[in-house]
Amino acid sequence: MAAQIAREWSGIQQFPVATQNKLHELLGKLKLENVSTLTILLMGKGGVGKSSTVNSILGERVATVNAFQSEGLRPMMCSRTRAGFTLNIIDTPGLVEGGYVNEQAIEIIKRFLLNKIIDVLLYVDRLDAYRVDSLDKQIIKAITDTFGKRIWQRSLVVLTHAQLSPPDGLNYDEFFNKRSETLLKCIRSGARINKQEFEDFPIHVALVENSGRCNTNADGEKILPGGTAWIPQLVEVITTVIANGSKPIMVDQKLIEGPNPNERGKFFIPLILAFQYFFIIKGIQRAIKRDIETESRPAWELRDMGLAEGRF
Amino acid sequence: MALLSPTRFLQIHTSAVPRSRKPSPSVSCSAENPDLDLSPARSSIPSLPAAPSDRKSNLTVFASATAAICAAAGGGFLFHFSSPPPPSGGGIGGGGGGWGWGSDGGGFWNNVFSPLPASASEDDQVSGVEWDSHGLPANIIVQLSKLSGLKRYKISEILFFDRRRSSTVVGTEDSFFEMVSLRPGGVYTKVQLQKELESLATCGMFERVDLDCKTKADGTLALTVSFVESTWQGAESFQCINVGLMQQSKQVEMDLDMTDKEKLEYIRMQERDYRRRIERSRSCLLPEPVQDEVVSMLRDQGKVTARLLQRIRDRVQRWYHDEGYACAQVVNFGNLNTRQVVCEVVEGDITQLSVQFLDKLGNVCEGNTQLAVIHRELPNQLRPGHVFNIEAGKQALRNINSLSLFSNIEVNPRPDEKSEGGIIVEIKLKELEQKSAEVSTEWSIAPGSFGRPTLTSIQPGGTVSFEHRNINGLNRSIVGSVTSSNLINPQDDLSFKIDYVHPYVDGVTNPRNRTFRASCFNSRKLSPVFTGGPGADEVPPVWIDRAGIKANITENFTRQSKFTYGLVMEEISTRDETSSVCTHGVRALPSGGLSMDGPPTTLSGTGTDRMVFAQANITRDNTRFINGAVVGQRDVFQLDQGLGIGSNYPFFNRHQLSSTRFIQLRSVEEGAGKLPPPILVMHGHYGGCVGDLPSYDAFTLGGPYSVRGYNMGELGACRNILELAAELRVPIRNTYIYSFIEHGTDLGSSKDVKGNPTEFFRRVGHGSSYGAGVKLGMVRAEYAVDNNSGTGAIFFRFGERF
Repeated sequence: MAAQIAREWSGIQQFPVATQNKLHELLGKLKLENVSTLTILLMGKGGVGKSSTVNSILGERVATVNAFQSEGLRPMMCSRTRAGFTLNIIDTPGLVEGGYVNEQAIEIIKRFLLNKIIDVLLYVDRLDAYRVDSLDKQIIKAITDTFGKRIWQRSLVVLTHAQLSPPDGLNYDEFFNKRSETLLKCIRSGARINKQEFEDFPIHVALVENSGRCNTNADGEKILPGGTAWIPQLVEVITTVIANGSKPIMVDQKLIEGPNPNERGKFFIPLILAFQYFFIIKGIQRAIKRDIETESRPAWELRDMGLAEGRF
Repeated sequence: MALLSPTRFLQIHTSAVPRSRKPSPSVSCSAENPDLDLSPARSSIPSLPAAPSDRKSNLTVFASATAAICAAAGGGFLFHFSSPPPPSGGGIGGGGGGWGWGSDGGGFWNNVFSPLPASASEDDQVSGVEWDSHGLPANIIVQLSKLSGLKRYKISEILFFDRRRSSTVVGTEDSFFEMVSLRPGGVYTKVQLQKELESLATCGMFERVDLDCKTKADGTLALTVSFVESTWQGAESFQCINVGLMQQSKQVEMDLDMTDKEKLEYIRMQERDYRRRIERSRSCLLPEPVQDEVVSMLRDQGKVTARLLQRIRDRVQRWYHDEGYACAQVVNFGNLNTRQVVCEVVEGDITQLSVQFLDKLGNVCEGNTQLAVIHRELPNQLRPGHVFNIEAGKQALRNINSLSLFSNIEVNPRPDEKSEGGIIVEIKLKELEQKSAEVSTEWSIAPGSFGRPTLTSIQPGGTVSFEHRNINGLNRSIVGSVTSSNLINPQDDLSFKIDYVHPYVDGVTNPRNRTFRASCFNSRKLSPVFTGGPGADEVPPVWIDRAGIKANITENFTRQSKFTYGLVMEEISTRDETSSVCTHGVRALPSGGLSMDGPPTTLSGTGTDRMVFAQANITRDNTRFINGAVVGQRDVFQLDQGLGIGSNYPFFNRHQLSSTRFIQLRSVEEGAGKLPPPILVMHGHYGGCVGDLPSYDAFTLGGPYSVRGYNMGELGACRNILELAAELRVPIRNTYIYSFIEHGTDLGSSKDVKGNPTEFFRRVGHGSSYGAGVKLGMVRAEYAVDNNSGTGAIFFRFGERF
């Protein structure tokens, strides 16, 4: 899989000129920072539009997208080169099955990602989902447990289906803020990111609209209801995340398997044993001795031992 | 209760008074009690004849225990208790006790110490005997000597007339009634009445006593006992001495023709002798409060009268018998007519301890058990030189019974013929069969086709067991059993267990109590690690088969506190439903398939582990029962230390510490039938493992002994565990109701178990519950609400949670 030959990024030519220019500019900026390869990992629940986002970013139909079912049971990596710059996008199957986090899927993703470097994680969810529940938190937790908490320093939240009319009484920006706020809160609690860490590495939120009915501006760029073209904006956010000073995530055997809990602390067992013997066992033995001394004896026994002294 | 001990009769000769020329009071107490209550809360004071609380029922017994006062001699210097021959001639009296226990019934004890045989003879006399009319005019007073010697008179009424006070004593409460063996309604001959008069005259209670008969119209006689009570000068102090094992004071007959000077000399000599006797005697057990009580009795009275002495005797004896000194007897009052009353007590000093073995027919035989084994179980208080106490006897009984070597145990105090006032404690034991073997078979009929049992579906199952107990007479034993539910193909499920127990490792006379045990075992248990969380689909079960050998040494510090350490060598294999070895846990997928990549079941990953590890367990338990409620503290520390021997060289330290406190919330009076106190139970349990942790050794959360309200293992399987529980027990009538709150958590250690079985089977990893319940005999019925789902359910459980 890793040996897959990177093809020329032909899809970029299908973008409107304004978008192409912007992308070239951003890639050039990355190149200046000595980044010549960019690996993007997309994760999220099933049916939120991960594969469609991949297609949209590359401007090609690399992942088959079906409106009614997910067929991506295996992760898939698309590599494209453009002017000496390699872009890898890894699409993954949905993480939810039967109301639970699908550990099997995570297991497959882990194995797929072995010996790869992840530059950016795109956590994909829908903008038009109103509620955040414990399942979202479990997914965040599963991702954290798999790649470590550090992955969230290299991640951004992508909200698809951005072109929507918000429910009554809310304007679009207000709705977007509320939605991203609750989702970020969920991520922070699920990944146990404290305030300081979050301030150092804030998680950005980007909007995506993959639908063919997406509005376009005068240059033919797909735009969000706010009027900004989203593809250049997304790539821009990605570059800022890369530039935030954190390290990319290297997925190796150790990361996947985690520390072997059976090995941890083995070295201290003799010490623990000594502690247990001298403090716990000896302590209990002393307590038993005390019990024997202070045991309340029946009066007849005390009289026999001469301890009554005529009192009872 | 197949083997009841025969009724014991005990005779104690308390005061052989040479001068009274009466047979010494032979007082027997039938102790017909095959069982005694083990519960220490039950006050098991035998109602011995002298206990005034039982005076009504013991009246017949005490009617004969008449006091004889040697009033004539030495100016009423000595006061002996003695008793005339009982009217029926049967052995009636008081003091002592015996009991036994048929242990193969295994039941409870009760404490009925009934003086039944005593009353039986009395009844014969009173009822069903014909009598003759006096044949005299009514309402005349007849001298006793004028009565016809041939007639049998019926006494319809007995009156006591105190001549000093010139009043008739009324009320049966008076202690004089006990003196007279005659009963209203009884039929007596002239000789009997004369004998009665004689005994009354010599008993020492009276200076003068007469019997007058008054004829009645219906042919019966009304008897009037007119008397002058013996009195002595008032006393202010009281002393109680133990004269057991001392020579009874012998009194030299006073010559009637002694001169006054000689008489004076004689009395002085006696006084001197008596003082020496007091000095020589041992101090008695009677405590100061009771002595003070007696002193106040003396002060209130002014003069010391026979009746007062009798009351004092009753009080002193009652204390002794209430405290379990069943053989204690007041034998004498001395130093009368001085300012101090001296009460002489024979407390029942043990002079000898004898252990006898009985064969099946009850004949004394040579026992197989070594005597040292029995001697080490006896409390010190039963050894020679101590005062016999019934509680010490009971303790000996309990201790010997806990050896479970004997089918029948009796501990009897017996008067020592050689040493007056001494007690021989006799322990009679009936040994159980040393060797036994048993084969039992059973058929489990499984439904065949159409639900009918067919011939092929009948499988004989059975158990073969053998026992060899008390090897070398040192209570060593080998017990083994093999069980299979299919004898035709026993390799399918064969469970076996062979135990060798070797007590007294340090020698049978060494007080250190260590027992060596070796056993060879196998077991099959359902693993709670592979259990689904709430609402999850059924998880295919994983069975943990263990087979191995174990050797350990247990040191008993007290009855409940002990320390065990040893080695375990075992093979653990994990099997699925079809009994084939499995390597990983399995979970049903929503698609209907099975996910086979669950947590590994064994350390080696092959489904079979072999390992050797050291095991230690120390238990500190000082709980005791207060009116049936447990109060005290219990701490248990258990340690499994892997030695790096076995599959994958397992090296681990798995430890558990659990601590339970039973806190009494209100102090209550202890005694039989009293309400137990409300109890607060606090419980904490910590477990942890460092190093290699196979799934079958992981700690599981949830279950009736972990967090109530959840199924076994429903909350998770983890490396570290913490459980906290509190329970409040409030007694109600014979039982108690309780409410509890419990919490268990994996301390975030579920992920540290390989394969994370908690998460794989979708469990939470922590949970709490609360509820309430009632104890119904052995069963606890409780309603528990689990806080994870917020639902409650009713559970029925056997036994105690703590």
